[in-house]
Amino acid sequence: MIFEFDEDQRLWQATVREAVAKECPPALVRGVVDEGVDPGPLWRAYVRHGWTELTGSGEAVELAIVLEELGRATDPTPYLATMTQFAPFFPEAVEKGVSGTAVFEGVTARRDGDGWTLDGTARHVLDGDRADRLAVVTGEGVFTVPAARVTATREQVFDPLLHVAEVSFTGVRVTADDRSAADLEGARHRALAGLALTMVGACQRILDLTLEHVRTRHQFGVPIGSFQAVKHKAADMHVAIERARALAYYAALTIAADDPRRRLAASMAKAAAGECQSLVFQSGFQLFGGMGYTWENDLQFALKRAKAGELLLGGAAEHRALIAEEYA
Amino acid sequence: MKLTFDPDVEAFRAEFAAFLAEHAPAAEEAAERPRSSSHIPEWARRWQRLLFEEGWLLPANPPEFGGRNASLLQQYVHLEELAKRKIYHSFNPQGLGIIAASLLSFGTEEQKHRWAVPILRAEITAALGMSEPGAGSDLASLRTRADLQGDHFVVNGQKVWTSGAHDADFILAFVRTDPDAPKHKGISVLIVPTDLPGVNRRPFGSLVGPDDLDFNEVFFEDVKVPAENLVGALNDGWRVANGSLGHERNMLWLHFATRLEEQIRDFQPATVLDRDWYATLVMDAQALRLMGSAALARASRGEQDVAALSVLKLFGSEATQKAAERMLDAHGAEGLYPTPTGPQAPLNLDVFITGWFERYARSFGGTIAGGTSEIQRTVIAERVLGLPRG
Repeated sequence: MIFEFDEDQRLWQATVREAVAKECPPALVRGVVDEGVDPGPLWRAYVRHGWTELTGSGEAVELAIVLEELGRATDPTPYLATMTQFAPFFPEAVEKGVSGTAVFEGVTARRDGDGWTLDGTARHVLDGDRADRLAVVTGEGVFTVPAARVTATREQVFDPLLHVAEVSFTGVRVTADDRSAADLEGARHRALAGLALTMVGACQRILDLTLEHVRTRHQFGVPIGSFQAVKHKAADMHVAIERARALAYYAALTIAADDPRRRLAASMAKAAAGECQSLVFQSGFQLFGGMGYTWENDLQFALKRAKAGELLLGGAAEHRALIAEEYA
Repeated sequence: MKLTFDPDVEAFRAEFAAFLAEHAPAAEEAAERPRSSSHIPEWARRWQRLLFEEGWLLPANPPEFGGRNASLLQQYVHLEELAKRKIYHSFNPQGLGIIAASLLSFGTEEQKHRWAVPILRAEITAALGMSEPGAGSDLASLRTRADLQGDHFVVNGQKVWTSGAHDADFILAFVRTDPDAPKHKGISVLIVPTDLPGVNRRPFGSLVGPDDLDFNEVFFEDVKVPAENLVGALNDGWRVANGSLGHERNMLWLHFATRLEEQIRDFQPATVLDRDWYATLVMDAQALRLMGSAALARASRGEQDVAALSVLKLFGSEATQKAAERMLDAHGAEGLYPTPTGPQAPLNLDVFITGWFERYARSFGGTIAGGTSEIQRTVIAERVLGLPRG
């Protein structure tokens, strides 16, 4: 195995990093939260950069690079939901710049003439209040439904950047033309890997901010980063991120290669990202001292993004149970 | 990024696998067990010599030194094939991996043929004399003195933790040759044959048992070492030390990856909690392989990042230790017994399949030897993350 970016991938990473710095700077993210700035133009910038064209599973590593960088920038658009929850089912729409998400549970499909009728209410749907289209997972298959045909309400959550919604379906008619031919399990792996990569990016951001803080914050006449107690926490954060990143990219790589190990790899990625955020959240927050406890410090966005990831699509303990089952 | 190696690497692997299938010693030939890290049983000497002669001992070396000029990735799959079959690379690992390698890098032609080649051919064994009672993590504070008097050095002082010294034919000793220079600048390296008058070796037991003898105290009392045994330039020993430890650094993590994979093999989780721990072990093993492969790929591109290797050492050793503790805990009172816990592999060390308690105790070798976890964390913080020196 050559577990390192090839030359094209390194170039892609540099390109993405540069574009993210320009398009999605911390000031913009802050503006979205504090002043209600519309992230719409940012989404259109991603479309212009071609990032919404990375819908094929063969491009999973290239997409992973974008997802990690956007996790690091605490991206305020529905990119993650669109690319890792909707696109695996309905790639053509996304390639045209349409946003989307998935409703994984809570909706039933009833056979109705030559089609089906969808009913039910789903909670905590990522970006369910602002995605153009929904991929609705039911016992009869996965159907695409335009947002206009459902009732979606953004729910109040602790993370001010996160959009989660309650989505209700009342007698929504769908036909065979609306049904996805994609493999549901494979799509789930892509959703898990996507969330894991986002969390890795957010954890890296926490470490970046923490390092900057401990290098510049002086106490007892020296930077606090010169104290061994601080150094060793920072080193542990770095190791946890490296481990989680390795497993997240491994998941992307097995998805790209359509390798049977992707099932195990996706759970390992999600579990490792979960373990990573636990340590990085705790140490990063702690090392920031009181300054990390304020609204005006951007650390909060990365902390909340990292922890939110753990709470969605199954946490570390749940995925460890799957790993043990899969591996035994 | 890809899940496979290039064809040249796979062809190399296949060739070595075919060699092993034909020539690896059978279990009944390998009955005699090694008793220390400088004791090679007769069958293993014959086996190592065959590897040397066929260019399969250290494939990156040129043919005259037991190799075939292999690339870094070919070297990696070579070690993978050995590990897969539970074949221990050499029963004098420090001789092969550190001492012979240092002599080949820093020694004279004469030294290479007189000392390095016999180690590679398993005709002699060697021990590494670095640590002292007052010089562990702070190696540069070592105090063993060597004074040049005409055509020989006179050596006085003490080494400790010298693995396998009591069975070794010589010690590669780091000594102070200029007591007035700053501590990194007054160190030299000498080949000290153990049969010279004034060399006294005292093996001492580990916590595993009083007869588990690998560590030694080594005392030097007016030992006369020929001046020609100086390795590298006088007072340039610190460079040799860094080089010596560097030889194995790219692949050191592989040792921990192998331990983790043995742990996966032997764990057999029974309860919900066991399975949770087992999953962590599976993840750690996979992550270490991935992180190690990435470091290797970077190194083979010529991007050597020594400090980043501290991440692998720290992570690999602590993951192994954590798993060892959990496997012990999972067995409850049964864990107290010395019953073997894995399948015996005649070409491997028996210590890897001892009782659960002993396996846990031995895991501390990983977090203490070769730079403690605390030193690794400091290295990572300062040299990888750029935090100020304290």
